[in-house]
Amino acid sequence: MRISTNQIFDLNIRSVIENQRGLTDTQQQLASGKKINKPSDDPVGAAQVVRLTEQLDKLTQYQRNNDLLTSSLEQQEAILRGINNSVNRARVLVIQSGAGYTTNADRNAIGAEIEQIRNEVLDLMNSQNAQGEYIFAGYQSQSQAFEFNPAATGNKITFQGDDGTNTVQLSDSVTVQSSSSGQTLFEDVFARFNFTVSGTAGVTVDTASITQQGSFDNFHTDNFDPTVPANNQFRFTVQAGNQVQVTNVGTGAVVDTLAFQPNQALNFNGIELVFDGAVGATLDITLDSPQKKNFAETLNDMFLALTSDDVADTDFREAINDALVGIDNGLATMGLENSSLGGRLNVAQSIKETNLDLEIANKSARSAIEDVDYAEASAEFAKQETALNAALATFPRVTSLSLFDFI
Amino acid sequence: MIRNTDLFNIATSGLNASNKLLNTTSNNIANVNTEGYVRERTEFKSQLVGGVGVGTTERVINTFAQNQLRRDTTQFGEFQAYKQKTDALDNVLANEANSISGGLSEFFAAVQTAADDPTNLASRDLVLSDAEALLRRMQSLSDFMLDKETELNLEFDSQVNRANSLIRSIGELNESIIVAQGNSRNDEPGALLNERDAAINELAGIMSIEVRQSPNQNGSKVVNLTSGESLVLEDGSFNVFQLGGDADPTFKQLQLSTDFSGAKQDTVLNIFEDQLGGSLGGLFRYRDEVLNPAQRDLGQLALAFTDAVNSQNQLGMDLDEQLGTNIFETPTIQGLTYTGTTPTLGISGQITQGAGATLTDADYKITVTNVAAGVPSEVTVELLNGDGTPKNDETGNPIIYTGIAVSATDFTELPGGYEIDFTSAAGYAIGNEFLLQPTRRAASDITMATNRAEDLAFALPIRVEANLGNLGGASLIATQVTNTTVDTAPFGADSSAFDGAGNIHNAAAAPGGAVGAPASILFTAADSFQVLDSAGTVITTVTGVTDYDDMLEQASATAGWPAAFGALTDYPGYDFSLDGEARAGDVFTISYNTDGFNDNRNALAMGELQQANTVQLSSNSNSDPRSFHEAYASVVSRVGEDASSATISLQAAEAMLADSTEWNQSVSGVSLDEEAANLVRFQQSYAAAARILSTAQSIFDTILSVAR
Repeated sequence: MRISTNQIFDLNIRSVIENQRGLTDTQQQLASGKKINKPSDDPVGAAQVVRLTEQLDKLTQYQRNNDLLTSSLEQQEAILRGINNSVNRARVLVIQSGAGYTTNADRNAIGAEIEQIRNEVLDLMNSQNAQGEYIFAGYQSQSQAFEFNPAATGNKITFQGDDGTNTVQLSDSVTVQSSSSGQTLFEDVFARFNFTVSGTAGVTVDTASITQQGSFDNFHTDNFDPTVPANNQFRFTVQAGNQVQVTNVGTGAVVDTLAFQPNQALNFNGIELVFDGAVGATLDITLDSPQKKNFAETLNDMFLALTSDDVADTDFREAINDALVGIDNGLATMGLENSSLGGRLNVAQSIKETNLDLEIANKSARSAIEDVDYAEASAEFAKQETALNAALATFPRVTSLSLFDFI
Repeated sequence: MIRNTDLFNIATSGLNASNKLLNTTSNNIANVNTEGYVRERTEFKSQLVGGVGVGTTERVINTFAQNQLRRDTTQFGEFQAYKQKTDALDNVLANEANSISGGLSEFFAAVQTAADDPTNLASRDLVLSDAEALLRRMQSLSDFMLDKETELNLEFDSQVNRANSLIRSIGELNESIIVAQGNSRNDEPGALLNERDAAINELAGIMSIEVRQSPNQNGSKVVNLTSGESLVLEDGSFNVFQLGGDADPTFKQLQLSTDFSGAKQDTVLNIFEDQLGGSLGGLFRYRDEVLNPAQRDLGQLALAFTDAVNSQNQLGMDLDEQLGTNIFETPTIQGLTYTGTTPTLGISGQITQGAGATLTDADYKITVTNVAAGVPSEVTVELLNGDGTPKNDETGNPIIYTGIAVSATDFTELPGGYEIDFTSAAGYAIGNEFLLQPTRRAASDITMATNRAEDLAFALPIRVEANLGNLGGASLIATQVTNTTVDTAPFGADSSAFDGAGNIHNAAAAPGGAVGAPASILFTAADSFQVLDSAGTVITTVTGVTDYDDMLEQASATAGWPAAFGALTDYPGYDFSLDGEARAGDVFTISYNTDGFNDNRNALAMGELQQANTVQLSSNSNSDPRSFHEAYASVVSRVGEDASSATISLQAAEAMLADSTEWNQSVSGVSLDEEAANLVRFQQSYAAAARILSTAQSIFDTILSVAR
């Protein structure tokens, strides 16, 4: 083939430029540490990198959520532990007050301590987080969760919030409850189920009290009718042959027939009745509507019973029973929430570990797609460098040959 | 027979011939670096009467090599222009700082952080500033593409001007060549031919052309486009290009117009840009295949994102205890008129609130098909691609919606999440055509609607609570809010039970006026419940309940549900589900979430938009939409693919061009070594011819001396 002078230059310049282009590309890969420096280097890989980076960003956020959740759950756990300790101390005091501390002075002393515990528990129930939010107030976290009004009729300590709870996203599919409402934790606790003697006809009542709270609770739960009040009324009618018949006033159904001796204890579903009456005489009892009381309320009731100077012994015993059952029910509810809290902490921990694994997996996947293999790239660089050197070295030698130099 | 005295003539002709050869050689050497120079060769014939004849100087050229070079130049020009432009977009997308994906991640991360602590104003502020940063990223990318479009139009202008001047000069050179050839029979007008070849080659770089010798055998060349349209005609006249645009003046279209002088009417032809080839064809291809789709995809992503966030925020309650409002302001755009439609007639379009997930990247061509009192009452809608071609459905048919009734006063919803309004008071006529480009500039035009962190509606406006006195074990598992549209009587079809003043409708405010919106439910047994309004009036009773899912939906299916409620699409706009076993007497109350500052339910829903599939893949609404990140990833990967295939095509075109250039150079290029040898050779032949002269002279002298 005929080679024109310009061809010699063109060929050489083209190969130098070609080599330089390859060298710059490899150099850019080495300098940035990435194989994909623009989407066109690997369009599919670039799209995958976008998705993997999104996953990694999300995981980072989930870990941040997880840390926040863990710290807030741990705070709640600590508060519940504090309440648990205080209430248990109060329980001991309540039992003590029933066991021989009979003088007013003694009761006042115990009452003073119960008052302190009430204040402490109320304070804990109104705990705030670092932002000053009442953590047990539900959604209405900017108003105090429980308010204490000693002059109120009925419950003196009332819940001001709602039962709203927040959740936190820990992974694409898992959300975990981050807060508990004071309503479920403290407020939704049954006070002791009780009954009242609602009517008598021809009988004198000596005793009417609950001796076996468990049996009575079962009976109350099974039979209490919130919609028709008459169904909660039971009539004991003295019959011939030393018997009483128990009938439901609302439905008229005969509930039970019991052996009866005047002025001797008669047991009906945990209720002990001692009364006297002729055949045909009746005694009516009514199941009380279930009351809900929180710890502070229960303790406040106990404090009032302890510090009141003219409380009858039977009433005082009832007060002790109310307090003990109220504390036990409250502890049970709180215990339930506490174990749920622990469960959530465990979930958070295990999701955290899963997310860490995912993070590593995603990072290595992304790295495999976009990171440069230094050994390979360095070898490539050396190869291209050699080629460029050769092109540069031969260029002047080829082009400097001219016949004109010889004529 | 050769006579002695002819020696003088022979010597003279030899001297002249060598002189001419030396001239040609010198000319070749002198032009060694002249672009487009074709080496020349002088050839002689011996004469019958002795001596050498007058030589003819011709260019050494191979027509096939020349044609090959021209074709390869066209291809190289196309891919070079296409790649250069695509690379610019590719590089912008490669930049981390511009990554929409990174912006989306940051925004959603901020939403989650804020959801973790919904009352914290600092983290709410972060959500807004991240939203703004995301908008800025979208804007800068969109602005970049709009700038590219402007730049592209300028480049179209300059390339068309260049092509026109080349066409003109080819025509003129044709004429000069005819004249020059008539003047000199022996020598080719090499310089003119080179100049014409260079002009043709340059034109070939701009567009794909065919070149033929004129059938008149007069040395002129005929040039036409590969698609057939004539550019330079045999008689030396020529046609020129011009740029036009229908409807969208920034969308340039190429036209060819005749340049007749005299009475003949000029005509204008539309040129198919996709068959054009060359750098101009490459630019058109870049606009139609890369820039326009990318612009629209980005606009679609931006609109889908802002609409999804706006719609979610509207379902919530903000820190001011008001129903949520828009976070972003989506643009209302003015439509363009096609040729033949009075340009002053107005049409405007905007995204249908809440329909972002059905929005496509299509342009809308709207044709008025019926008019009432000068205002359109019915239109036909055609979906178009960015390059003006019809969008096809999955069976390959153009997507056209006919007979859409249009409201005279308000926006009318069109298929695909967009709504239009004819803004002029009157003057429309049947056959008026308008163009709307919903997504083209959208990413540049979206702004923040608020900068108050309090306006982020992280809470739900509804709170459902179990009464403290409930004895049953039923508990709330989910509360949904689906509609918060505030309206008063007469109620629009999309009204909800919210009055916009922190309450739900009581009997007086509610549709129908008889009972208020559901405010509580009361179980009368485990399998039946009453729905009551805020005044305690029973709205309806549901019996035979098998599960506690969507309690109000169950209530709305009963006969007792007020007809005035049932007439609306989504009333009351909220619902809830319970779990467990209720007992008679249990009550659940529904109320406006007053003081519910710590509620993060709507913020979580907003965060979940990150995973939601809300960007339409195609104009086919049956196809699966993608998430924001997926949509962005596919833009990146498509531009990347275009750029990478352009790189490969360019390399191939480069190699082919190098090959044909070499072929041409090999035939027509000047070799200095060859010329050096020729120089020596012709110098020697000159000396030899001179020697003949001296020999002839001495012979003549010899004869004279004999005679003396």
